[in-house]
Amino acid sequence: MTRTIALRLRTLGLAIAGVSALSITAATAQEINVWAWDQNFNGAAMEEAFSRYQAEHPDATLSVEIFDKAAMEQKLQAQLASGQTDGLPDIVLIEDYRAQKYLLSFPGAFEPLTDHIDYSAFAPYKVEVATVDGETYSMPFDSGVTGLFYRSDILEEAGYTAADLEDITWDRLIEIGVDVKEKTGETLLPLDPNEAGWLRIMMQSAGTWYFDAEGNVTIADNPVVKDALETWQRLLQADISKPVSGWSNYTGSFTSGDTISTFTGVWMTATIKANADQSGQWAVAPIPRLEGVDSVNASNLGGSSWYVLSSAPDKEAAIDFLATVWGQDVDFYQDILVNQGAVGSLLAAREGEAYQATDEFFGGAPVWQNFSGWLAEIPSVNYGIFTEEADAAVVAQIPALASGGNVDEIITAIDQQVRQQTQ
Amino acid sequence: MPALALLGVFMIYPILWSLWMSFQTGRGMQLSFGGLANISRLTQDPVFLRALTNTLIFLAIQVPVMLVLALLFANALNNSALWGRGFFRTAIFLPCVTSLVAYSVVFKSMFSTDGIINHFLMTLHVISAPIPWLADPFWAKVVVISAITWRWTGYNMIFYLAAMQNIDRSIYEAARIDGVPAWARFWYITVPMLKPVILFTTVISTIGTLQLFDEPNLLTQGGPSDSTLTLSMYIYNLSFRFMPSFGYAATVSYVIVILVAILSFLQFLAARDRRA
Repeated sequence: MTRTIALRLRTLGLAIAGVSALSITAATAQEINVWAWDQNFNGAAMEEAFSRYQAEHPDATLSVEIFDKAAMEQKLQAQLASGQTDGLPDIVLIEDYRAQKYLLSFPGAFEPLTDHIDYSAFAPYKVEVATVDGETYSMPFDSGVTGLFYRSDILEEAGYTAADLEDITWDRLIEIGVDVKEKTGETLLPLDPNEAGWLRIMMQSAGTWYFDAEGNVTIADNPVVKDALETWQRLLQADISKPVSGWSNYTGSFTSGDTISTFTGVWMTATIKANADQSGQWAVAPIPRLEGVDSVNASNLGGSSWYVLSSAPDKEAAIDFLATVWGQDVDFYQDILVNQGAVGSLLAAREGEAYQATDEFFGGAPVWQNFSGWLAEIPSVNYGIFTEEADAAVVAQIPALASGGNVDEIITAIDQQVRQQTQ
Repeated sequence: MPALALLGVFMIYPILWSLWMSFQTGRGMQLSFGGLANISRLTQDPVFLRALTNTLIFLAIQVPVMLVLALLFANALNNSALWGRGFFRTAIFLPCVTSLVAYSVVFKSMFSTDGIINHFLMTLHVISAPIPWLADPFWAKVVVISAITWRWTGYNMIFYLAAMQNIDRSIYEAARIDGVPAWARFWYITVPMLKPVILFTTVISTIGTLQLFDEPNLLTQGGPSDSTLTLSMYIYNLSFRFMPSFGYAATVSYVIVILVAILSFLQFLAARDRRA
């Protein structure tokens, strides 16, 4: 019981060595193993991709293992740390925020794909997060392009049309929220005090991050961070948000009608559309931009990409599969858009048929076309290797922000904690 | 000989390795000897301080509350005149054999803003608006303390019950004949006779609480704003959530080892003094 985590890692290494002896014999020469975290989303998209590849390569097989996302990240991290690579898959899905952390702390663990994939065909910000020393390691996958999802029926009741939400600032959104609350009694937004995603969205919309291109902490002297935190404080104090705790509470608040909008990644579309009886009552607008700093009405939240492990016995087959289907098959991207609601980051896919379609659920708007338009505008930033640490420092200050604390002092506290944690 | 080899491989080697590791700095597996760098990092780390404070608050409130409750339950259930003793004993012991994840999920739903606890309190007019149990720094601590107390009180009660059965009945009879009231029999006979067991449960509970991980991780993930972050959760975050810094995580885990050693020693000391 009193053993340490470090100690567990050593014993874990021994345990994995034993288990891996079994898994080697189980794998056949042509089998591609994949780790992913959502059976209906990224797992299903991977299987769809493979069914296309298999038509040309009938002897290849695929096995997709689905984990809880956090459990998968820990398993990957523990196994890379133990140095036992036998139980690892050929391809693994990694969230963009964590990519640099894995690439830099476990050098040599992932296979560079620069020679196999034409990265100029992909959204630049997706390529940049997976690039270290001129080598790119990822097969860019789903985009976290953000939008403001809102209940158009309720906003209409308060006298607002879609044009009133086009290319606005956060302060304009606050005005609208206050006005809607007065007229209809409805609460605009859900807010989780354990979530720093809103700050990440605002920062990226202004092309900045917790860190600069060299990875130095840029929080205390960053006008965007200050502007974003001040904006957020105004939003909190306008009494147009409802506190929620955890993911299901958060999604439940706007699907049940407790709140009437949320700004988040495009991957939320499937969750919102799951309530078929609300068809026609929803719309999507571009997210608001910051006032006073150089910011656009487009940003990113989350998103993930595929990585090939250097230790994989079948890495040649894995790379060939990724490059031929994920790397260039425009039709494939139409399929996963329609079936999984996955907005990939291959730019040419935007010209395909599915991206032109309108959606009755969102009042007949060409939502995919809109999202892919915003996708091209997202400024690229360096997520660095410490986004998780910086998020934790921000979350620790949210109660102070909500209770009207001095923003300069809050920024100093965040900055100090991040510097301390990233030495 | 094989036993010694096993002990060496699985006990002594890991302990020595983690001690060596606690002097290493670096990211991921790129570690190098850093001397006292981790200890100086510890002294300037606001998150470590918050985790340490939270852990000590949990310890100072939860352990006494739980042990007093266990003692009172044990005393009540030791009464042979009580109807349904077996049922109550089982009922109070049951939580500590319940699946940890299952009970955390139940607690989480009970304490959610729209949960049964708020409904109950509102119906009784104890509160006028729902309490944000898991979203407020103070109430989140209360929920975590309640959850651990619920789970482990029965476990400690069993130790007390077993010890009480070993106290000679004739002592109580003599006291009763001398006209000693029930509370005094409990305080001056039962409690002193149980001293070794109380010491044992205190040490075990102290160690358990210093290593607290499961409940805050499943109920609150250490939040809101680190108000339920414990040292063990911090070690976990340093190893698996953040940029892995195994050396620093090992240093923090040795803080727990040292705390356990000091507190256990003090508890033994206190018990010995009173006996003398």
